[in-house]
Amino acid sequence: MRVIRLLMLALASLIASTAASSAQGTISDLPRRETLILENPEGTIKNPGWFNIWAINAGGQYTGLHQLALDTLWYIDPERGLDGSWQNSLAAEKPIYNADFTEMTVKLRPGIFWSDGVEFTADDLVYTVETQIKTPGMRWSALLSLNVDSVQKVDAQTVVFKLKKPNSRFHALFTVRFNAIWMMPKHIFEKAPDPLRFDFNKPVSLGAYTLNSYDPDGKWFLWQRRDDWQRTTLGRYGEPGPKYVAYVDPGPPDKRVIAQLNHDLDVIHDVAPEGMFTLAKQSKSLKTWFKGFPFGHPDPTLPAVIFNLQNPTFQNHDVRWALALLIDIRAVAMASYRGAATISAIAIPPTGTHPDDYHKPMQDWLAGFELDTGKEKIKPYDPTMGQQIATMLRPSMGDQIPTDPAEIARSFGYGWWKPNPTAAAELLERAGYSKRGDAWYTPDGKPFAIKIMVEGDSRPVMTRAGTMIAQQWRQFGIDAKIDVAQGTNMLDRRGAGDFDTFIGWSVETYGGHPDLAFFLDSWHSQFVAPAGKTQSPRNWQRLTSPELDKLIEQIRTVSFEDPKTVELGRDYAKFMVREMPIIPLMAYNVFTAMDETYWTGYPTAEDPYTDPVPNWGNSRLMMVRLKPTQP
Amino acid sequence: MKPFLAYLAKRLLQFAVVVFIGVNITYVITHATPIDPVEQSVTAATSFGVTSPEAVEMMRASLRELYGLEGSPVEQYLSFWRRVVVGDFGPSLSAFPTPVSTLIWRAMPWTVGLLLASTLMTWIIGNLIGGLAGYYRRNRLLKLAGIVSMGVHPIPYYIVAFVLLIVFGFVWPVLPISGGASMNVNREDSFGFALDVLLHSILPSLSLMAVGIGGWFMGMRALVSNIVTEDYVTYAELAGVGRRRILRSYVMRNALGPQVTGLALQLGAIFNGAIITEQVFGYPGLGSLLISGVHAGDYSLVLGITSVSIIAVSAAVLVIDLLFPLIDPRVEVR
Repeated sequence: MRVIRLLMLALASLIASTAASSAQGTISDLPRRETLILENPEGTIKNPGWFNIWAINAGGQYTGLHQLALDTLWYIDPERGLDGSWQNSLAAEKPIYNADFTEMTVKLRPGIFWSDGVEFTADDLVYTVETQIKTPGMRWSALLSLNVDSVQKVDAQTVVFKLKKPNSRFHALFTVRFNAIWMMPKHIFEKAPDPLRFDFNKPVSLGAYTLNSYDPDGKWFLWQRRDDWQRTTLGRYGEPGPKYVAYVDPGPPDKRVIAQLNHDLDVIHDVAPEGMFTLAKQSKSLKTWFKGFPFGHPDPTLPAVIFNLQNPTFQNHDVRWALALLIDIRAVAMASYRGAATISAIAIPPTGTHPDDYHKPMQDWLAGFELDTGKEKIKPYDPTMGQQIATMLRPSMGDQIPTDPAEIARSFGYGWWKPNPTAAAELLERAGYSKRGDAWYTPDGKPFAIKIMVEGDSRPVMTRAGTMIAQQWRQFGIDAKIDVAQGTNMLDRRGAGDFDTFIGWSVETYGGHPDLAFFLDSWHSQFVAPAGKTQSPRNWQRLTSPELDKLIEQIRTVSFEDPKTVELGRDYAKFMVREMPIIPLMAYNVFTAMDETYWTGYPTAEDPYTDPVPNWGNSRLMMVRLKPTQP
Repeated sequence: MKPFLAYLAKRLLQFAVVVFIGVNITYVITHATPIDPVEQSVTAATSFGVTSPEAVEMMRASLRELYGLEGSPVEQYLSFWRRVVVGDFGPSLSAFPTPVSTLIWRAMPWTVGLLLASTLMTWIIGNLIGGLAGYYRRNRLLKLAGIVSMGVHPIPYYIVAFVLLIVFGFVWPVLPISGGASMNVNREDSFGFALDVLLHSILPSLSLMAVGIGGWFMGMRALVSNIVTEDYVTYAELAGVGRRRILRSYVMRNALGPQVTGLALQLGAIFNGAIITEQVFGYPGLGSLLISGVHAGDYSLVLGITSVSIIAVSAAVLVIDLLFPLIDPRVEVR
């Protein structure tokens, strides 16, 4: 008995003593008011002492390394940027091409220094390119080998690339959308015997922060503002607010919510919609991209129903359109994001500057678009779908739902396709399908069955969307089922073409720039793998179309800055509507939650100076706008 | 002495065969995974950034060569065993070129520390209370302890862990809810660091103990309930031997045999890591490492951790078999 009593007493004393010392604080000896704590969605880093980002997948990337310590020639912000979405970073001006895009000249910004005091010059750029070409297996070796014939330093601030073939988008390799080819410090790497096996620990920084310390178990990385932050490219925007920035692994979603409610985590990268709603109800210091519903930041990524176009079932345009007309996007938005979705009828994400370049100007064309079902011509577009979602949410979310039509369009999207089972049936009948009883049959008499591959718990929002779509198709009489392929299995099957359809994305854009070549160039039919072979990113649907090829070839000949890129982009969007090779659903809304207990000045839809999602390279801009809440 | 040496040799041979078969099965399973580590690396390298299909093809070829995946299956199998016999599991494919053994050694102290302490404490408390409850059957406090421990035992582990997380992490936020130690804690201050690690281990170990004690409690109580009806216990009571001595020397010691075997198996399984515990509490260790290896298709890493676990479980069983005669005097080597 005495032993039990003693044990209970010991446990109680231990808990009481921890309470007295408020043991929950995450920082041991750092001033919390000077420290910004962000979630690193990579989680725990297996190999925390590895900072050589030029070796593939060897260590962490979003540990603050690529946001705060590395730099490259240009950035395109997914939002508006601090002085425009295009930023000349290490480059002093935009890329200079010759007439046939076989040569690109780069003028570098002078007065930029590595954190060990060595000046950044053309030597570093040339070394970065030549080392990766010489070392197959480095991260950007293949891209550089394919493109670069020679790279030459003209003077300390000028470099000329001679390309193997014309490439009007060569600069994109050095332009951060999420990341890009980061500059290597020549004076450090040239001493390493093998650049692939060099850990680059402690990293020499080109950004405004340098590594203070890291967890040997990979849970956190702490960066400290450089004393000479003025000698970095961020310096031109002013002094970064936080003296210390920590990227941490806060654990599963529930722990992230608890940590932020306890003010131990300033920025959550992403949580499930329910987690965001809990924070919205319980946190008085919460800041989100949209002031109210739908809260999350729409990434320039477009979740869609992606057909395997090498599967004969989906090679018929009528079948694809029929399946689109059976989807009620309102129910999909409610099921996936609990309504907090930004829908898009066109195959361009409704985010950044895209609504102004594409969605808004294309409303008339979409409203007038006609679809011939064989028995009638219908106008399938309903421009009020975004407003209908807002109306559905208003009774439960009240004032959080905007009333201004422009704001509704920005938050929930413009229109989408009206559910039209009659037209869908007509299209299927024209394609040779027939209905017997409650079930649809293929032209060769088999039950019409479709599997929708989803990632299960790895990506619950997309899984919910797929489940709802399967349900809607089943209600119509199609034997639609969910096919769960968790995380990595999904990646393998997606590449191998081992799916009927899946919920995912093959469209990723800059967000802050209308050029679509970022993803569209890889959709050229020259890159489509035969059935059974692995498909390279990003044309997972394996679309081949002479019409689209011609469009892509036209884009290749047009300069990145040419206004024609928008015209060609709209032509692409129209082609995608007519052909429906994927069914676009919505933007990938990321529920980034920011806490204002210690810091203010986060980017929002009202002040969209950058993307708040903390693993994006562009999120470094946050540092110069954040100010301490408490003096 | 000769019978013992023969017994030892036989058991060592059994140990070697079990390890060989176990590692081979693991090798086959891990290499049959549909997850391709090269594809995982390609995805990680090309996600969100500029890429081109031609470049991806080149990258794939380079990585296959770099990761040593080019040889025939037989060559890869032989190469694997050549390395394993010298304790080298090769480089991790998801943290290339870091050796798997480096990753395992880094994670092991956390797992072993947490699970060894909580397993031993669970075993001691569960068996102690169970033994007392079986002997002093009318004691109200012990009855209450039995109801509580058996009441918690069937609750799924993750529910218990989550409740503890909410209670001590949010409602009464007094305990750390994530990680093995505080950020930026000075690891050279051994006392401060040890205290910090101890605080971080309270919730995970409490959750393991809460769920684990009931099992040991019930097992021990049942064993003791049977033993107290044995003739030799009745005889000892009639002979006037003290109750404490009867409990300690006549009852508990005889009941411990199966419990010790169970403990040995649990201690061996420590090297698997407590996957759910480590995930729920964000605790560093082998379980988290194993899961990350599975997700990344890093079969070198999965194979390394599983092999260590197979060896540990087999070794634990071997040691217990050898020590059993010392624990239970009724057992002898024949």
